[in-house]
Amino acid sequence: MHDFVERITAYIHWAIFLLLEVLSGLLLFKYNSYQGSIWFTQANTAAAYVHEWEAKAFAYLRMPAENAELVQRNILLQHETDSLRHLLADALKDSSATEKKQNTLLQDIKLIPAHIVDNSVRNRDNLLVINAGSNAGVEPEMGVVSGTGVVGIVSAVTPHYSLVISILNSHSSISCRLRRTDYFGYLKWKGGNTLRAYMEDVPRHAHIKVGDIVETSGFSNVFPAGIFLGKVAKIKNSSDGLAYELEILLGTDMSNLRHVNVISNLNKKELDSLRLR
Amino acid sequence: MIIPILKRLTWALLLLTIQVLILNHVHPWGYGAPLLCPLIVITLPMGISRSAALLWGFCIGLIADIFAGTAGISSAALTFIAFAQPPILAFMAPRDSDEELYPSFSTMGRWNYFQFVALLLLFHHIVYFALEGFSYFHFTDIFISMLVSYLASLILIVLVEHVRNPQK
Repeated sequence: MHDFVERITAYIHWAIFLLLEVLSGLLLFKYNSYQGSIWFTQANTAAAYVHEWEAKAFAYLRMPAENAELVQRNILLQHETDSLRHLLADALKDSSATEKKQNTLLQDIKLIPAHIVDNSVRNRDNLLVINAGSNAGVEPEMGVVSGTGVVGIVSAVTPHYSLVISILNSHSSISCRLRRTDYFGYLKWKGGNTLRAYMEDVPRHAHIKVGDIVETSGFSNVFPAGIFLGKVAKIKNSSDGLAYELEILLGTDMSNLRHVNVISNLNKKELDSLRLR
Repeated sequence: MIIPILKRLTWALLLLTIQVLILNHVHPWGYGAPLLCPLIVITLPMGISRSAALLWGFCIGLIADIFAGTAGISSAALTFIAFAQPPILAFMAPRDSDEELYPSFSTMGRWNYFQFVALLLLFHHIVYFALEGFSYFHFTDIFISMLVSYLASLILIVLVEHVRNPQK
């Protein structure tokens, strides 16, 4: 009997080894479902606090480049609003009704500004953490955008931070369309290059040109319609040969982002309840 | 009893800090980051109980995972090399060595210790990148990532070990 117990204790490390590996495996799978606990992700308070402190420190080093980009962006937007205002005035002499409509559309959308606290681009499933959480009005399923286009979709929130599924994530699928022809499809990332994604399910009869602009379709209501995603870089056949698969050059370089906005659509709940019927 | 554990804890925290604050942001040519955490497990002394080694590996992996957002990957890889380290150390250590041998350049000899580190690090990287990319679309990408990270980690560890334990 004594001999038996001794033999068991001599091999106890095998049991511990298997137990710990199984535990790691469970973490791996639980984490992959995203709906599971966010305690083991970068959004838990301790990790997010360290990353935020670190991000703040490094932000100072990058300010000049960031400023230049913002100024550039500002000029571009000023130019665009100016030309659009002229076009609108020309197209509709009686513009008061349209303006009212535009304003009511924009009333439904609230932008919540946030900083990126942690970001990854090298994994297959990349996630971001931003420093705006439920206290700031962020909820799961909200869209996240930057000045250069779509960044991702909020997956989970804590009071002060949110975990965002980046577009560079194998689980991300964003409803998008071609600006010129309005054909729609889904934007997917397949790993590797962080500036290349694929638009799938584009019908074969669609006329597509390299350089066509791809934007959000607004179908999912996570993003309003017309937010820039990227440009068509290459036209390929899908693997089953029934549709086109477009290679998209993304507008947002996810590897040097810092400021983002969360889109809070006040009518989303209403629309979702309608979809359930 | 308590002093070596405190020493090991400080060493682990130092390496984890470097890993989280600096190395997780370094991607040579856009590929895998160097990983310094395995060094904590590699340098566990000879006399340590195998169960304790496994717990060290798992806990360090868990902390690294929480800060890198890779739940389960580092803990699985570090637990694996914590399991493999004692027999490999027993095999590669010099015959006439201490009961409580602390693996380093000076205790094991330069070439011997380098082989020991390279072997355990290879095991670690194979498990780590296999788990990270087990449904990855681009096999070549994950392979290059593994190779780049492996070489970068190996160079870094050799440098750290030279600083920690200068050769006479």
